[in-house]
Amino acid sequence: MKQSMIINGKAHEITVDGDMPLLWFLRDNLEFTGTKFGCGSGLCGACTVHVDGQAIRSCITPVSTLVDKKITTIEGLSEKGDHPLQKAWLNNNVPQCGYCQAGQIMNAASLLAVNAAPTEAEIDTAMQGNICRCGTYQRIKKAIVEAADTLSKEV
Amino acid sequence: MTISNVSRRNFLKTAGLATGGLVISVALPMNALAEKGIIKDSGDELNAFIHLAENGDTIIYCGRCEMGQGISTALPSAVADEMEADWQRVTVKQGDADEKYGPQATGGSASIRVMYQPMREAGATAKAMLIAAAAKVWKTSAENCFAQAHFVINKTNQQKLAYGELASIAANMPVPEKPVLKKKSDFNYIGKELPRHDQAAVVVGKRIYGVDTKLPGLKYAAMIHCPVLGGALKSLDKTEALKMKGVIDVIEIPRFNIPFGSIGGVAVVADNSWTAQQAVKKLIIAWDLGENAIYDTKEYKQQLVKNVEKPATLAAERGDIEQAFGAAKHKMSATYTGGHLSHAPMEPNASVVWVQKDSCEVWASTQSPADIQKVLGQYLKREPKDIVVHVAMAGGAFGRKFKCDYVHEAAVLSEKTGVPIQLTWTREEDMRTGYYHSINAQHIEASMDEQGNVTGWLHRAAFPSISTLFDPSLVRTPANSLEDITNHLFGIENCRVESGDAKAHTRIGWYRAVYAIFYGFAFSTFADELAYKAGKDPLSFVNQLFDNNKNKEQQANVKRAKDILAIAADKSGWGNRKSLPKGQAIGLAVHYSFQSFVAMAVHVEVNGDDIKVLNVDCAIDCGQVLNLDGATAQMEGAVVMGMSLALSTEITFREGAVVNSNFHDYPVMRITDMPNVRVHIPDSDESPTGLGEPGVAPFAPALSNAVFAASGKRYRDLPFKPMSV
Repeated sequence: MKQSMIINGKAHEITVDGDMPLLWFLRDNLEFTGTKFGCGSGLCGACTVHVDGQAIRSCITPVSTLVDKKITTIEGLSEKGDHPLQKAWLNNNVPQCGYCQAGQIMNAASLLAVNAAPTEAEIDTAMQGNICRCGTYQRIKKAIVEAADTLSKEV
Repeated sequence: MTISNVSRRNFLKTAGLATGGLVISVALPMNALAEKGIIKDSGDELNAFIHLAENGDTIIYCGRCEMGQGISTALPSAVADEMEADWQRVTVKQGDADEKYGPQATGGSASIRVMYQPMREAGATAKAMLIAAAAKVWKTSAENCFAQAHFVINKTNQQKLAYGELASIAANMPVPEKPVLKKKSDFNYIGKELPRHDQAAVVVGKRIYGVDTKLPGLKYAAMIHCPVLGGALKSLDKTEALKMKGVIDVIEIPRFNIPFGSIGGVAVVADNSWTAQQAVKKLIIAWDLGENAIYDTKEYKQQLVKNVEKPATLAAERGDIEQAFGAAKHKMSATYTGGHLSHAPMEPNASVVWVQKDSCEVWASTQSPADIQKVLGQYLKREPKDIVVHVAMAGGAFGRKFKCDYVHEAAVLSEKTGVPIQLTWTREEDMRTGYYHSINAQHIEASMDEQGNVTGWLHRAAFPSISTLFDPSLVRTPANSLEDITNHLFGIENCRVESGDAKAHTRIGWYRAVYAIFYGFAFSTFADELAYKAGKDPLSFVNQLFDNNKNKEQQANVKRAKDILAIAADKSGWGNRKSLPKGQAIGLAVHYSFQSFVAMAVHVEVNGDDIKVLNVDCAIDCGQVLNLDGATAQMEGAVVMGMSLALSTEITFREGAVVNSNFHDYPVMRITDMPNVRVHIPDSDESPTGLGEPGVAPFAPALSNAVFAASGKRYRDLPFKPMSV
């Protein structure tokens, strides 16, 4: 029987071996290249996507565990690229090389979904698994605070 | 498209495109570059392009490689400013490998230093020709017209003509011999906080990096490298790997023994990267490790220390240090060390190469497209110009992607399989198959008189140098790589520089800030140690060291170094530091490298062995700043990289091979340790210089000085807290 997962609102049949991590199914088979390969071991966070709204490391999550799950990648975080985090990222000119930023944004979005007004310490704890080698951490923190502020005004 | 010959006097030239519009290219005489030491020979002209279409859309090409440093915004914005182009109408495109863009090798913090003036002249030329076109239409004089935001405006009647309307007419206007550049007060973009041109694509995951390249029929590869430099494959059993579903081939890649060629290894080509990576794990390989299998960095570092704590080979000398030491009131010595570093950009080495019978096309994250052409040309026995290189956005590089061994490997695989190949290194391969920052030791001995003037300075350095890439027979660093010691801005009348033996056992390469990392560490830390020895305030002591520089040629730079240090100190609250809570202190350092001046004041809190960096005040003098926000970002990043290498990152070799494998045992800095970084950039009219690298050097010494002030513990070895691996 055919198995599938929902990626950014659309069903995709799982056409690869069940032990293939979601990252490679996304990148090599479906050509959703916004999700990045950084370490392959869940150590850097570049590959972060959402499964049923929660941030996971797609490089260590086999597709067999994701049957019928709802996956959101950076390409599907918002329809027009206008998620408060995306706007705050632009407003603070966060990215340098930008390679880790999809993972940073997806991880931050997962944080804000459960904690709309995180303290600085809570941001640190939530974001410590996401490495940025260019060193944009200061702006990442600022952008998360700004996005949280925007969200609180929307409610 | 025709391009007429360029006379050197004309400098700039135009050509009409078949599609209409105006194309400006700036001819950058090679001999000017040769004079600046950018290239070795003078010869033909080089170009960079603006394309203004008839609908007003403007493309500005960036010939230098983008890896996050912001050059593809900075340089085009200088063109747009002089051109009076509306930045909203400008699209930036990355130039493929082509001589016409001038030198594309992106390193040495040189892009802005070299390209700022020609880019401005290109923009000013376009503007002059557009104004001339409008004047022709209106039958008035050029003086009666001015340009603003993509329009030319008639001063008499305020009529406007859009740039697009003028493009084709402008293409037939004569090229001004010497375009008039704008006054600083008229800048629209230069010196302002212009957002990066590509940010919107980044935040939605649409920015395409080298690793993201897709082509019809693309196959994916992963590989394992010979763990030891100079080793070779002894035996290979590929049976199990070949049995895996989706595996296409297992291919041996022999070492290509040129500086940027593959170190050698075995690759698997498969339907996707995951399968290729899994199949690599099933290969049964025996290596003949060769003579570098003896390499052990712990022992080697101890040997380097021995080599600098005894007389070594003279590299440079001025005055008479023996006499200075003989007459000294105080004498002091210290030894500093540092380990190998891996660049570890977030995007591991990756490229796509498609070798066909009569073509070779490359898509790569790279810092040096011409080197790809050279290396692949040499491997495939084709002309470098026949290797087409599309320069992709690099997901970080820091010097690693200057070397194209990973592109060469993809070319080997494509040549052997006949299909386009994407080779992506795993993080483990990226960390274990590097071109590492030099492991190093430095020993300094100095003498002072009663007033705390430094009278003599003996400086021995031992590190396997980058020169060993090109001449592996070198047993010690050549004197010319030690010139930054000899020419340091501290005023030291009697100085002797010696080079200690340090043969290379691995590949050494440029790493962000290069030798400035350890020179900056040794100079600024030792100066701080001397200040305490002389019983002086560290800032006054360093200023006195600068003041003792009597070299007329260095006076301007000495002043800039002192001024920038004063700003960092002042902003940090250095004057009130005695009132900081117990356990807190501020440390200072200033370093001049890549023609820029950077000072840092690092404010720490020390609790036992625990070091917490609270604030960093970073002051920079890079002359006229091109993009204020970009410059600020470079410094924030430099603090993070400086902090990683000061506290935790080090590559360890045992039995010739790298022991580290991923971010768990190469602990780069994370968000939890991020201090509050404040960047201070005083206004300057000096020529612009680069900022990619110079920010890294002053962090570690400022931190060492801060920790000492807070706790009395002196760190002389980088990293301060190595992880045992």
